[in-house]
Amino acid sequence: MTISWLQAALLGLFACLSSMPGLGGTSFGNYTLGRPLIGGLVCGIILGDIKTGILVGAAMQVVYIALVTPGGTVSADVRAVSYIGIPLAMVALNSYGLSAATKEGAALATSFGTMVGTLGTVLFYGTATINLAWQHVGWKAVEKGDYHKLYLVDMVLPWISHILCSFIPALIMCKLGADVVELIKTTLPMDGLAMKTLFTVGSLLPCVGIAILLKQIVTKAVDFIPFFFGFTLAASMGINLVAATVIAGMFALINYKLKMLQNQRVAAPAGDFDDEDEEDI
Amino acid sequence: MEKKLSKKTLTKSFHNWYYGNLTCFSQEHMQTFGYLCSMLPVVEELYDKKEDQARSMKTYTAFFNTEPQLGTVIVGMTAGLEEARANGTEDVDDETINGLRAGLMGPIAGIGDSLVVGTVIPILLGIALGMSTGGSPLGAIMYIIVWNLFAYFGMKFLYFKGYELGGKAVDFLVGPQGEALRESVTMLGGIVIGAVSATWISVTTSFTMTAAGAKKPFLDLQKTLDGVYPGLLTAVFVVGCWYLLSKKKMSPIKVMLLLVVVAFIGVFVGFFNPGLSY
Repeated sequence: MTISWLQAALLGLFACLSSMPGLGGTSFGNYTLGRPLIGGLVCGIILGDIKTGILVGAAMQVVYIALVTPGGTVSADVRAVSYIGIPLAMVALNSYGLSAATKEGAALATSFGTMVGTLGTVLFYGTATINLAWQHVGWKAVEKGDYHKLYLVDMVLPWISHILCSFIPALIMCKLGADVVELIKTTLPMDGLAMKTLFTVGSLLPCVGIAILLKQIVTKAVDFIPFFFGFTLAASMGINLVAATVIAGMFALINYKLKMLQNQRVAAPAGDFDDEDEEDI
Repeated sequence: MEKKLSKKTLTKSFHNWYYGNLTCFSQEHMQTFGYLCSMLPVVEELYDKKEDQARSMKTYTAFFNTEPQLGTVIVGMTAGLEEARANGTEDVDDETINGLRAGLMGPIAGIGDSLVVGTVIPILLGIALGMSTGGSPLGAIMYIIVWNLFAYFGMKFLYFKGYELGGKAVDFLVGPQGEALRESVTMLGGIVIGAVSATWISVTTSFTMTAAGAKKPFLDLQKTLDGVYPGLLTAVFVVGCWYLLSKKKMSPIKVMLLLVVVAFIGVFVGFFNPGLSY
């Protein structure tokens, strides 16, 4: 599998749209096109192998299932994961003759994607730094009362940042990727220590993604129970994800009703028997 | 005459925020320019005089950063406040508006990050992953449609609620009903994430012990562990990473590097073996 200039350019365009500060906007750019599962679909369409794209994207999605960027600090760059990492992983799988549907294929894809994603944070800082120049233009415009220039500053000029930090890196990486993969393949044999480590890391990395999420919802040991409940549903009882969500929804509903009953009890002694929940005590 | 913002202007202001909240992001000003673009149609409709426009626009040059999707409610609220200021309401000035913005962006960022980015998106992605098992595009397409409808109409709702209700709009989010809802959604998220972990992560060991002369190993560690609790090793690794991240305050990148070391040692001593060859 090789990537043509046109395909690489299309991937570069999606990299511009999808990053965090991306030109597709936050909800559609970062949180839709930037998610590896969606990136997998897009890369699959561009490279002509939707099934592999989705499988690779899905494997990487678990690592980045809760990519929260509090206060603009990032630990991975979604444009790099989705539009450099996924195409390269697809090329690598193809070159190694591995199927993305196997455990090994998923591990290889995850390793590749995470490596690229972590290195890609440099693209995030690059974009944000170049944007400072446009913002400088913006402040000048505000001083002069030339407010309509703000649209240019907020929505047009950042394209230049993205051409430099998203389009060109994605274009070049995707175009050269096949050669690099070939190089890795010849220098590092599959049954050597390095490749075995790479594959093992690939299977361990999703644990970090889940742990980042758990960090937000678990503060004391008892908070782990919903997590292990879900884990047990899937691992021991073999219930699939959609069905597990329905079960989870039932429990969440019960919890909500209980909490609301509790709230009413707290509200009642205040002498407010209306169905209003906002009590002013 | 009482000034009233037209529906058209409010919608334009909302769209400017919806699209432009982070397009010109920098570490220094973050969402400030998105905010300015969003307030521009509002300010232009309310004030005819250049100096009034300048005064109002200057208010929004103050630093702003929050979770941009849930934060839409703050933008809506300030549109309402600006309208009140244009109508000569006395206690609305720069200080009130920026005090409100500064006071709300922290809590809203906290709730938004944990509820929207940390729970709603992972739940949707979890379901999407389930539907995309085996390489079907169905899950990805479902996510694109459901998430974008939710985000667009949810944010529009928040904007207009913020505009109409002002401060009361946040009461719902931080009040007891909001808390009950958040706690329940978090629980739902926890269960789904547990199921995602068990379905998509597979940490297995290849460690076996074979007695001299025997054909079959007397200890197959993976089977033994799964006999105790299916997926035990995966769960141990997830909880271990959680421990390092939240109790040891390690950064995700450091934890990932540590896993590289663990993988290397594990492969070296024969605990891990992906079992690959050409």
